Amino acid sequence: MLEAKNISKSYENTKVLKDVSLSIERGKICALIGPSGTGKTTLLKILAFLEQPDSGSVTIDGITYKYPLEKSQKVEAPWPKVTVVFQQLFLWPHLTLLQNITLPLSARGLDDNPPRLQELLKLFDMNHFVYRYPNQASIGQRQRAALVRALLLNPEYLLLDEITSSLDIEQTAIILSQLKKLGSQGIGILTITHLLQFAHEAADKVIFMAGGEIVEEGGPNILLTPKHERLSQFLSVLKTVS
Amino acid sequence: MTVFDILVKYQQAFADGLLVTFQMCLIIWSAGLIIGSLLGILAAKWTKFLGIPTRLIAFVLSGMPMLVFLFWLHYPLQSLLGIVVDPFITAVVTISIINIFSVSEVVRIALRDFPNQYIVAAKVCGISSYHTVLYIQLPIILRQTLPSLLMIQVGMLQATLFASLISVNEIFRVAQQINSVIYKPVEIYTALGILFLAICLPMNGLALWLRKQFTRDYSEQ
Repeated sequence: MLEAKNISKSYENTKVLKDVSLSIERGKICALIGPSGTGKTTLLKILAFLEQPDSGSVTIDGITYKYPLEKSQKVEAPWPKVTVVFQQLFLWPHLTLLQNITLPLSARGLDDNPPRLQELLKLFDMNHFVYRYPNQASIGQRQRAALVRALLLNPEYLLLDEITSSLDIEQTAIILSQLKKLGSQGIGILTITHLLQFAHEAADKVIFMAGGEIVEEGGPNILLTPKHERLSQFLSVLKTVS
Repeated sequence: MTVFDILVKYQQAFADGLLVTFQMCLIIWSAGLIIGSLLGILAAKWTKFLGIPTRLIAFVLSGMPMLVFLFWLHYPLQSLLGIVVDPFITAVVTISIINIFSVSEVVRIALRDFPNQYIVAAKVCGISSYHTVLYIQLPIILRQTLPSLLMIQVGMLQATLFASLISVNEIFRVAQQINSVIYKPVEIYTALGILFLAICLPMNGLALWLRKQFTRDYSEQ
């Protein structure tokens, strides 16, 4: 289990996260929703061991890091057991999409052409553009490459930050069905999303954040019958927009 | 007497002059690229201890004409110190200093501005720091800096001509000496121009091509 407890984080004088606790279980999908600027990405970075909170603790498979760390303590970041696909994708610009996908394997001395690679390329319909450089590919193509790069790492916990934001409906549907499949294969997934339908259909748990704290959490049904006024407002805005 | 006749008749003198020019270039390019790169890396790492002094020196040097700097090192400084240094060494040291600080600035800025997200992406993919440097940082930084570094080296090659003004027998001084004997300025300086174009244009072309290639790759950010 990947668990964060009582996480607080400030940037200068702005408190971004206020006593936030959540857990990601293997084989479960957790959807994190909320307005922009509410600390969702910061929380994701903390869970990915890319940032340290001011206080609180993060536990992964029984190993707990309590923050602030003691001077002698060092975080052994469990990458790529925990991996992230960011909204900005972070593809290396000097490599083709295929090289972006396979570099993490070859750099770690692993087979860079495993059967799963061809399977994923076919599934995401990538064979016709996989030799392009990131700047020659569309955002949707880059998003697929970033996701395949993460999936090939066989992570145990996959953290996704708005990865379907630039995809068309068909590609979004493929990715969402893949996420469901990954969940059923035992991968713990946390996804920041604005896709309410996906959150409702695929997620085992939905967490709504606003103002740096968790306002409401529960099963997907909280999206249909929200208890908190703030979540109701957010849902009505999203429904109006969509 | 045609350009070809002059080149044939004075081939030994031209060859000697070219040899001196290439010797100078070899030292200036090596010093600039090796010491300048190291200085740039260290200046990016220790921004206060080395970064600020390096930037300050580069800034001062950028405001001083190379010729003034060369003459200052050749006459006033040596007179102040009461020493006489071979003009070849003075010229090489002067141009090397400028090359070193020019290169260090290019490298320092490239390292300072290296997009951190590429390192983050490598981290979350489980790529070690060593492999991140080898496969991601180094290739990107090389692509980013190579065109500028090539352009600077072309500039340094052209700057070696200033050495003739402090009596270094490099190619330009040889050309001047031959001209003073046969007085064929059009032919001699045309030949010299063609020679420099033959060396500098491909280097500049390569730099431009590299810049075009790598700007394309970099536009993703």
